[in-house]
Amino acid sequence: MQGQSQSPGIPGLLHGYPALPGTYDEMFAAGAPRGPFARVAQLLDAMRPDEFARAQALAEHALLQQGVTFSVYGDSRGTEKIFPFCLLPRLIAGADWARLERGLEQRLRALGLFLDDVYGEQRILAAGVIPAEVVLGAAGYRPTLRGIKPPGGVRIHIAGIDLIRDPGGTWRVLEDNLRTPSGVSYVIENRLISKRMFPRLFDAARAHRVDHYPTRLAETLRSVAPGDDPYAVVLTPGTYNSAYFEHSFLARTMGLELVQAPDLFVEHDKVYCRTTRGPRRVDVIYRRTDEAFLDPEVFRPDSVLGVPGLLRAYAAGNVALANAPGNGVADDKAIYPFVPDMIRYFLGEEPLLEQVPTFVCVRERERDYVLEHLGELVVKAVDEAGGYGMLMGPQSTAEQRDEFRRRIVAEPRRYIAQHRVELSSCPTWIAERGKVEPRRVDLRPYILTSRTGPWVLPGGLTRVALVEGSYVVNSSQGGGSKDTWVMKETA
Amino acid sequence: MISRVADHCFWFGRYVERAESTARMLAASASLALDAELPAAQVWRPVIVVSGEEHEFARRIAGGDGDHPAWGDGEVVQRFMVLDDDNGVSLARSIRGLRWNARSIREVLSAEVWETVNELHLWSSSDAAGAQYAQQREAYYQQVRRSTQLVLGQLRSTMLHDEPLDFVWLGVLLERVSQTARMLDVHHHAFTSLVAGHELIETALWLSLLRALSGSEAYLKRASGRVGSEAVARFLISEAAFPRSIAYCVHSAYDRLCDIRPPERHELPGGISLERLRVLDAWVAARQREPLSGTMVHEVLTHVVDEVHAICGTLGTELLGGS
Repeated sequence: MQGQSQSPGIPGLLHGYPALPGTYDEMFAAGAPRGPFARVAQLLDAMRPDEFARAQALAEHALLQQGVTFSVYGDSRGTEKIFPFCLLPRLIAGADWARLERGLEQRLRALGLFLDDVYGEQRILAAGVIPAEVVLGAAGYRPTLRGIKPPGGVRIHIAGIDLIRDPGGTWRVLEDNLRTPSGVSYVIENRLISKRMFPRLFDAARAHRVDHYPTRLAETLRSVAPGDDPYAVVLTPGTYNSAYFEHSFLARTMGLELVQAPDLFVEHDKVYCRTTRGPRRVDVIYRRTDEAFLDPEVFRPDSVLGVPGLLRAYAAGNVALANAPGNGVADDKAIYPFVPDMIRYFLGEEPLLEQVPTFVCVRERERDYVLEHLGELVVKAVDEAGGYGMLMGPQSTAEQRDEFRRRIVAEPRRYIAQHRVELSSCPTWIAERGKVEPRRVDLRPYILTSRTGPWVLPGGLTRVALVEGSYVVNSSQGGGSKDTWVMKETA
Repeated sequence: MISRVADHCFWFGRYVERAESTARMLAASASLALDAELPAAQVWRPVIVVSGEEHEFARRIAGGDGDHPAWGDGEVVQRFMVLDDDNGVSLARSIRGLRWNARSIREVLSAEVWETVNELHLWSSSDAAGAQYAQQREAYYQQVRRSTQLVLGQLRSTMLHDEPLDFVWLGVLLERVSQTARMLDVHHHAFTSLVAGHELIETALWLSLLRALSGSEAYLKRASGRVGSEAVARFLISEAAFPRSIAYCVHSAYDRLCDIRPPERHELPGGISLERLRVLDAWVAARQREPLSGTMVHEVLTHVVDEVHAICGTLGTELLGGS
């Protein structure tokens, strides 16, 4: 490529970067840096690969020393690992982001209205916009919560929307996460590291800051509290949870207390915390416990992570839960295909964000198509996440396809299918080869919704499939992360 | 503050003190084994006895035999006290306990304290630490002591001086009282019966004990160079200005608990622990005016250890969320 190294004779970091055919490259177009990124690309290319390798090693060491780690499940010794991190940032142009931001706000408003309606009058079902069986049969639909209005009127306080960019450069929503989306702590920690390692580069990029997220989150939580001067806490399942670092990080950066279920109890439909000075009334709970484990009186009776009576207190309006229980019905993979219809129905607007075309197996015609084209499609179980319960058609064996055929016929509602979507690619440091290569990425922006409406953090978690040729960005399966620089719009 | 968090703070303090104390005691014993003309078992057995793991050591290591050579084998004893995962008070377990409690209250600790603890934890399970243990034992103990002392300093200089720190400090002080009391008790008993009349060895032994408690220089300043059984015992029990004496630790622990649970706030939990600690503080202070010879040392120390144990129990139920 592209750009001239400032050290004569030594090729720069981006020298010879091979774009990945068939993908949208986040930094380069036709061999040259995209316009808004020219300055950053030039500075990057002025770096020597060995300099970069040193910075990368330092960054990883710092993350480990600071304990920016996740716990590895199924490891009884409580092993922790750092979330693999690539110091090369992913850049997003200001104008591009502005469109994305409007689309995300629109989507969140519609999803919120959908939840209000599903747990209220259910007008959208009566109107036939979404088949009632798809909604009422969703694993995330909680009939017991119908009629309960959440304190402050907000249900999706914190959302993480997974986006990809297709080969034409169009952003598409891949998945909504409206229950307990994680990863925002890495956004903030990654930023701290990249600012420390590349101050000049960061300065030149003029990127939006992300470190005010905890303050905004705390405001969001306070805004929905039932009373004045609220006492808000963060509820974690405990130190063995894979996202424990994040729970602790958010509590620390918001200045809130981090509690576990045994610290809380309910009396007369009010929630209290056991403190060294006796019980203290709790007004808001940012809960990072899965809702199935929230309250053994209502959901799983075997849960030791739960607080008996919590849902009664919530129903009585005495405590705000963020996110509200019952949100799973809106981020169900079987509901996803209907979100554009939701936007039209509730807002009377055309959707600003594209989605990935999806076949819904509960519809007979679409099911037949899926069963005939299993080898070309990606089939997903609607109630599983993290890259599990999937059939990657093009890479599957005949045996795996037969297995999914049986499953789909038995329980069509549980499955949707999509053509494999190509992800965009981004220059990524490959340590073992000592050079920069393209790897596939997605993007998870975070949206906070308070009483006054949604707010999008200008940035987000870029996840990268570090394995060559891979599409899987999940940290549990060889994925890593990058800092995401949303550039300020230039006049 | 949340009772469970207070409990982690308390145990964080106990583990940091215990790790420091274990490393110090082992380093002092290794040094004593080189100098003094003592049977090896007289150097190493007290280490096991002070740790409170005599039965466990006898059962697992010494085959139930009180005269087994393991009791006098410095390598076997150190391995048990440093690396043995099944020994609840080994350094490995203390460091892991320290780190686990720290991680549970990461949002309470300052970043400086957390990173020092995390680095100690990463180091202690590294190959480098293993090699250092094998080749430079003294440097290994020194590294543990430096890190834990750094934690103790950072706690004071980087954290809010309010309730969480009070609980950490309460844990440090109560752990320290027990360490000092048990160490003095075991050695006082062993030394007086062993070397009656042999002044040179006795002096070496008492100085070694003082070193194991970071107190040899402080003691010599107070005693103008005279080393004797009763003087050492009095110093370690009653010296109000020595931060590891029993009087100092009990009194400071009472101060911390008064901040946590002010004596006039009768409506708050913690009253039983507070009263019991007040009584112990007054009792220890009164020892200053009493003679301290022969078996009296043992009686005083037994009372202190028993009372501290009981106070830790009532703290657990009154303030730390235990049942």
